[in-house]
Amino acid sequence: MVHPKKKPLAYPSVAGEPPPAELLLEIGTEELPYQFIPPALRALGDSAAQLLKEYRLSHGAVRALGTPRRLVLVIASLASRQTVTVKETMGPSKSHSFDTAGQPTKAAIGFAGSQSVAVKDLEIRQTPKGEYVFAVKREPGYPTHKLLSDILPSLIEQLSFPKSMRWNESGMRFARPVRWLLALYGGKVVKFQVGGVQADDRTWGHRFLAFDKSKTNQWVRVNDFMSYVKVLERHGVIPDQEQRRTMILSQLTRLTHSVRGDLHRDDDLLEQAIYTVEYPHAILGTFDPQYLTLPKAILMSAMKEHQGFFSVMRREGSLLPKFISVTNMKLEDMRLIREGNERVLVARLADAKFFFEEDRRIKLAERVEKLKGVIFHQKVGTQHQRTNRIVLLSTKFAGMLGGDQLITTCRRAAELSKADLLTGIVGEFPSLQGEMGGEYARHDGESEAVSLAIAEQYLPRAMEGELPKTLEGKILSLADRVDTIVAFFHVGVVPTGSEDPFGLRRHASAVVRILVEGNLWLNLSEAVRHAKELVQAQGLSAVPHSKGSSEPLDFIAERLRHYGRTVHGLRDDVMESVLKLATKRPFVLSDLLSRMKALQAITARPEFDPLMVGFKRAHRLVQKEKWSRDVINPELVQHPVEKELINVLSEVEPRVQTMMAKSEYAKALEELVRLKPVIDQFFVGVLVNADNPALRENRLSMLYKVDVLFRQFADFSHIVVQGT
Amino acid sequence: MTFQELILSLHRYWANQGCVLHQPYDLEMGAGTFHPATFLRALGPEPWGAAYPQPCRRPTDGRYGENPNRLQHYYQYQVVLKPSPDNIQSLYLGSLAHLGINPKQHDIRFIQDDWESPTLGAWGLGWEVRLDGMEITQFTYFQEIGGIELNPITVELTYGTERIAMYLQEVDSVFDLAWSDTIAYGDIHHETEVQCSKYNFEEADISMLTATFQAFESECKRLLARGLTVPAYDYCIKTSHLFNLLDARGAISVAERTEYIARVRALARQCAENYLSERQTQGFPLLKPQGQSRSKPKGKALVKS
Repeated sequence: MVHPKKKPLAYPSVAGEPPPAELLLEIGTEELPYQFIPPALRALGDSAAQLLKEYRLSHGAVRALGTPRRLVLVIASLASRQTVTVKETMGPSKSHSFDTAGQPTKAAIGFAGSQSVAVKDLEIRQTPKGEYVFAVKREPGYPTHKLLSDILPSLIEQLSFPKSMRWNESGMRFARPVRWLLALYGGKVVKFQVGGVQADDRTWGHRFLAFDKSKTNQWVRVNDFMSYVKVLERHGVIPDQEQRRTMILSQLTRLTHSVRGDLHRDDDLLEQAIYTVEYPHAILGTFDPQYLTLPKAILMSAMKEHQGFFSVMRREGSLLPKFISVTNMKLEDMRLIREGNERVLVARLADAKFFFEEDRRIKLAERVEKLKGVIFHQKVGTQHQRTNRIVLLSTKFAGMLGGDQLITTCRRAAELSKADLLTGIVGEFPSLQGEMGGEYARHDGESEAVSLAIAEQYLPRAMEGELPKTLEGKILSLADRVDTIVAFFHVGVVPTGSEDPFGLRRHASAVVRILVEGNLWLNLSEAVRHAKELVQAQGLSAVPHSKGSSEPLDFIAERLRHYGRTVHGLRDDVMESVLKLATKRPFVLSDLLSRMKALQAITARPEFDPLMVGFKRAHRLVQKEKWSRDVINPELVQHPVEKELINVLSEVEPRVQTMMAKSEYAKALEELVRLKPVIDQFFVGVLVNADNPALRENRLSMLYKVDVLFRQFADFSHIVVQGT
Repeated sequence: MTFQELILSLHRYWANQGCVLHQPYDLEMGAGTFHPATFLRALGPEPWGAAYPQPCRRPTDGRYGENPNRLQHYYQYQVVLKPSPDNIQSLYLGSLAHLGINPKQHDIRFIQDDWESPTLGAWGLGWEVRLDGMEITQFTYFQEIGGIELNPITVELTYGTERIAMYLQEVDSVFDLAWSDTIAYGDIHHETEVQCSKYNFEEADISMLTATFQAFESECKRLLARGLTVPAYDYCIKTSHLFNLLDARGAISVAERTEYIARVRALARQCAENYLSERQTQGFPLLKPQGQSRSKPKGKALVKS
């Protein structure tokens, strides 16, 4: 079949046609929020490539660079003219299109109309199927320079940000005001206007810094990317984020080594530093060592969260009374700037010290009652209600995973788990929740196990973050998250599409990782059932689920699929076949994952797909007849292949049982694979639908036994096999 | 530079940019944004430029005069410009230079800080401006006021006068600031901090405040119904301060908090709507060419946009 196709044709070289040239676009802005810049640069590059493709403009490498004050796009070798295309669409056959007199038929007229070409322009072509009518459309190539005046404004207007604003009467929306536009194609200005700004060939240097004698805050003319980069560097701007990254990293290393310390590597801080400066210049500051008596986490948060400072560690891991600030200024004398930064930090640390000392005057246990005044979520109740649920749930989980000692520890940790939300330090540094709870619990004289569990309850903090190390910490983290998911589902707050305001997916992923990577034998369906009972018992008003939304258990299973896919490269059909049967059994994630991995391993074997063909045939017959009897009458066994099947089944069955019980899934699958020849022979040797009903029933029972045996492991009917 | 010189200096600078030198509003408020010269004037199409210091009261921030950086009463210096000039960042940096802060000798940064006032039904995007790591100014492009989308956009600059003065005078405690050559900030305000902290946290009469809140809320509504928007807005400002006092006193639970905020916001919204429609009825007087304006500004025109 000949498909309609696009056939790009090289444009016949016209004398004087300019060669491909470089496109340079700079969107000059007021200071953009640093988190917005990397995604905006990705979007800028991607939509540029997309737009140029739509406009049929061939091009070389696409680069996107940026600082807080500029988003830059550079496209190498952009063709000077659109590719001419000829689009040919096949229509009806010649005999259908023209009558014997050679006049066009209704079919031809209709086709020409649908393709918006004149009937007389239809062409007849020879195809392997005979002669057919074709509509041929030529789209001419316009010069790039003209097109860019349309392309660039829409490129800029297409950029979207998590939050955008208006600033002038143009009504344009952008993350921050756009103040200048530089647009050059082949050294010539591309004329267009966006947000009330006219594009030209001028850029602006650093606000305050220039390595050309005091020529700060002035515009400069450029003609291509090379000159742009050079001019900007002289004017105190390093437009390439990767170059800034390298500069910052080497400055950080130099400064930490100068005090024989080690840098605390923090990727968030590094990103923040890269995208909040146009010219990075790191400085080393000092604070009064008296503050080193504060817990490390507090000091690091005070430096990081308020000021964006890096901490410096001693080799053995404790902090040095130093910090590094990446400034946007380079002066010969940085004293003034350094002292300013030091003063601000000391005020922060003094505040933190005050809070830390005040906090320890009141025990966590005494704070619990006050959680009644802290709303977790309007529909999900107060932190006090949550605490009560988490206490009961952790106790339950501890009972499922261990003995009395574990139960006692988990209960105590859960009781105190949310009390630190009322402390001054957590009020000041919300990210220290949990960690401070652990610190204060220890101070209150709680056991080390209780303190650690409280400290670890929010781990993992990010999708791939560190897991709790202690079993108690894992249990508390699980209880908290299972409760959160179940409670939000109960009141009808369920993630949809990209909307997940309470991070339920992240919680579900954490549940998966803790259970799987911690190899915890916890029946999740029972866990979820308990959580539901607790939520109901507190009388939270239930909202019936809208159609199509899932149950908490399915929701977590979905994250297990995601985990299997991304971390272990598992096939969807393999996971599906294991999960399909799992709901009827204890839902133990680590166990399900072992099964999936074993199953995926065996699918690589050459005899596996043929085995599946045989199994599916057996399964379909059993299903079709709704057969559920497994009593076989030996007297009705006629053929040797039947006998063979029964023999092998009786051997394999108990072995599979034993191996499954010991979680030796690979071995169990090996046993199932042994059935392949006998199943194949069976289908070759006998007809299941025999005329004699007794024979037929006996054979169905044999197949039923095969089906049941396989289904102990997984629902193999979901396995996708080549050629079925 | 003394504290009073700092304010004088800002006055001079912004007056030269064509701003009306307004005076502080004579009611307790949590921020200069509550001043009618900002909250009401930001509404509608009329051009506007004003600068003024505003004493602010934040009862929960009181520390009995014991913390060198925290006060329950302090001074903001507020500048509002409508429409927001294209060169507003340069104008702002010019004001710092005017105070003797040479931007070429410091690390001045515009760090994202989006502003929202749930009680005023207002929000905007902008930055906190940091001088060598210290926050000295809030810089906001208002997008909505009283729930009304703004057009043209008003830009608001809020200087933290004490912070800047502490930096310039190189003192570590706000109370040590030289207000004038002979009087310290502490001479004027330390005792007020001690007494007001005690009042805010310990003595404020909760039932009196609650009853007053209700009375003022009713009065605001009554005045709104009678077309007296300006006095109605005064009562709206008063309810907001009463809410802050109740909050500092720990008299408001989390659930009630949301409700109180919603009540103040409802008043603020209605004031904004009424103000806008009144100005419309009056034909937006400040839109008239300058020659016809009753108060004819002398000297430089409003900031060029």
